[in-house]
Amino acid sequence: MNDQLRGLDRRSVLKWAGLGAAAVGGSSLLSACGGLKGSSSSSSDTLKIGLVSPQTGPLASFASSDGFVVQTIQSALQGGITSGGKKRSIEIVVKDSQSSPTRATEVTKELINSDQVDLVVSSGTPDTSNPVADQCEASGMPNVTTIVPWEAWFFGRGGKPGKEFTYSTMFFLGMQEFADCFFPMWERMDVSSKNVAALWPDDTDANAFREGLGPMMEKAGYTVVDGGKYQDGTTDYSSQISKFKRSGAELFTCTPIPPDFQTYWRQAAQQGYRPTLATVAKVMLFPSEAEALGKLSNNIATDVWWSPSYPNESSIDGTTGQQLADDFASKTGKQWTQALGSVYSLFEVAVEVFKKVSDPKDKNEVAAALHNLDYTGMSGQLNFAGGPQPGIAIQKPCGGQWRPGKKFPWDIFIVDNHANPNMPLTGDLQPTFS
Amino acid sequence: MGLLNAVVQGVLLGGLYALYAAGLSLMFGVMRIVNLAHGDLGVVAAYVALVLVTHTFLPVWAAVVVTVLLSAVAGYLLQRLLLQRSLSSGPLATLLVTFGLSVILQNVLQELFSADTRSLDTGTFATAAIHLGEISVSYLGLLGLGLALATIVGVQLYLSRTATGRMMRAASDDPEVATLVGADARHVYAVATSIALASVALAGMVFAMRSSFSPTIGSMSLIFAFEAVVIGGLGSLWGTLLGGLGLGLAQSIVGYYDPADSILAGHLLFLAVLALRPQGILAARGT
Repeated sequence: MNDQLRGLDRRSVLKWAGLGAAAVGGSSLLSACGGLKGSSSSSSDTLKIGLVSPQTGPLASFASSDGFVVQTIQSALQGGITSGGKKRSIEIVVKDSQSSPTRATEVTKELINSDQVDLVVSSGTPDTSNPVADQCEASGMPNVTTIVPWEAWFFGRGGKPGKEFTYSTMFFLGMQEFADCFFPMWERMDVSSKNVAALWPDDTDANAFREGLGPMMEKAGYTVVDGGKYQDGTTDYSSQISKFKRSGAELFTCTPIPPDFQTYWRQAAQQGYRPTLATVAKVMLFPSEAEALGKLSNNIATDVWWSPSYPNESSIDGTTGQQLADDFASKTGKQWTQALGSVYSLFEVAVEVFKKVSDPKDKNEVAAALHNLDYTGMSGQLNFAGGPQPGIAIQKPCGGQWRPGKKFPWDIFIVDNHANPNMPLTGDLQPTFS
Repeated sequence: MGLLNAVVQGVLLGGLYALYAAGLSLMFGVMRIVNLAHGDLGVVAAYVALVLVTHTFLPVWAAVVVTVLLSAVAGYLLQRLLLQRSLSSGPLATLLVTFGLSVILQNVLQELFSADTRSLDTGTFATAAIHLGEISVSYLGLLGLGLALATIVGVQLYLSRTATGRMMRAASDDPEVATLVGADARHVYAVATSIALASVALAGMVFAMRSSFSPTIGSMSLIFAFEAVVIGGLGSLWGTLLGGLGLGLAQSIVGYYDPADSILAGHLLFLAVLALRPQGILAARGT
């Protein structure tokens, strides 16, 4: 009995192995055909979208809503879409960058070569989006990324006016948008000096602020009190804090990595530096950070590029931002994050562009259509032809402040909409420390 | 005045580094194990404390005590069940085992708790400080320094005054001879690991109170702890205390003049010690 079972096993194993070998052989034949024909890749009735995001590692907070978004999109697109005069189904292939740029490049190559996707989308800081965009640009693969300041995405990848990118595109904010978001809040504060304390470390993001936002601040009449180019991971901020205190700066801004902000903000409280208004970037994006900081989170202001309170609707099925956030909360038990709307929009962009082209398998046509796309959806209007460089759509953030919420321990209240007057306010601007 | 403040902050920071490094130093001194999972074990302790605080009625201080005890037990088992087996295969094996342990711990934590930033909330204690003119001495900094001193003095007393402590030193010098005269090297080693884990648990929790933690943050503290051990002298606990303080002072004093070079100053001190006095400030006796 036993022997027979084992015999059967061996035979079935052989059978499966044979099938597997045939499948592998077949797929390599297929890919050889694809290589010859050049434009067509996977089966023409299915359109494949590859998603690269940091699902594990230090950046994983950015990807915490990805699984939910992929499911939501898949069920919304169950009936397929009409693209190039034909009904086609949409398949989504998800890859984990493990928060590493090297790994991001590797999985993008896999998506292009083995999964034979038709478009690659990606999100979550320059460490993910830049290598993915570079790989797509090199392989002639249409690509959209988000949650990366456009200066870091464009100049950081060697872009120059006149030397733009053909296949990669993005939507997010830039330094001008941070200025448009932060300055009106500073103006509204009753402060005695125009000194602004700036905690900017020595990394790509913060240097973009130092070189971009710094001069804009000076031009608007503010004096930058730069705490100095410290290294990420610094555990003691007493020198910065005493410099800020000496300068009498009542306004504060920063672009540190999240754990460093937690250390800095507590030490500043210990050492008695209490700015009238703190407007922070890159940190306090996620409710978990506000929870970790506890009471000290109260009235810290940040840029809000997506919120369920914005009157936006999905271009796919009309779902409102509020419905998306509620659905996310009921399915995952977690509070919404700004990344939820952005990742959703990545797929909207893909669907919009597939609907516009005559042949969605023609990479050049898709890439050209991406550069000309102008649609309104979950992230409001995204115009890829109207940005500071070709293929960049700019979002207009509002100012928000963290306060104890009704449904969740900490919530973002929209307190300033000078940069985007169409968005409703949900609270008053209050001093961080009064 | 600003410089004096930098010195004070440097000493407080150095205390935390020394607390982190004490366990690393002890494990190296007794068993010649370089524990690459040391920082991650501190992070695990922080998560355990967080779970205790959020899911039981224990106040933070009680959760800290329970976590230290749990860590001590975990340390004993870790040595007996895992590290002891690799010890006989030479130093490279233990290095690889602890490296593997570090990778596993980080991923398990991420699976259980996600990559979200957490913190041990101690309410007003976290931001309270004694203000002396321009100098502010934070309660948390004092706590870290105090625990570092208590741990190192306590372990030194244990090593010199108790039978197990003396056996530990004997087993450290020559495990075979120590076994011949009746010491159970495996038990002694496990006790040492147990103490090491209890101390790194304390360090991890103090760190979680003064900053925040997430599954992958342990390796950052490992670097500073390792530097403190080497600067102070391998295998010497008093040296480790001095190494931690030296590292903290170098970072904060240089940071006072130029924040850009603060971390670099610590690394340079480490390199200078390696180049000029490789045995460290206080070398262990007999080596």
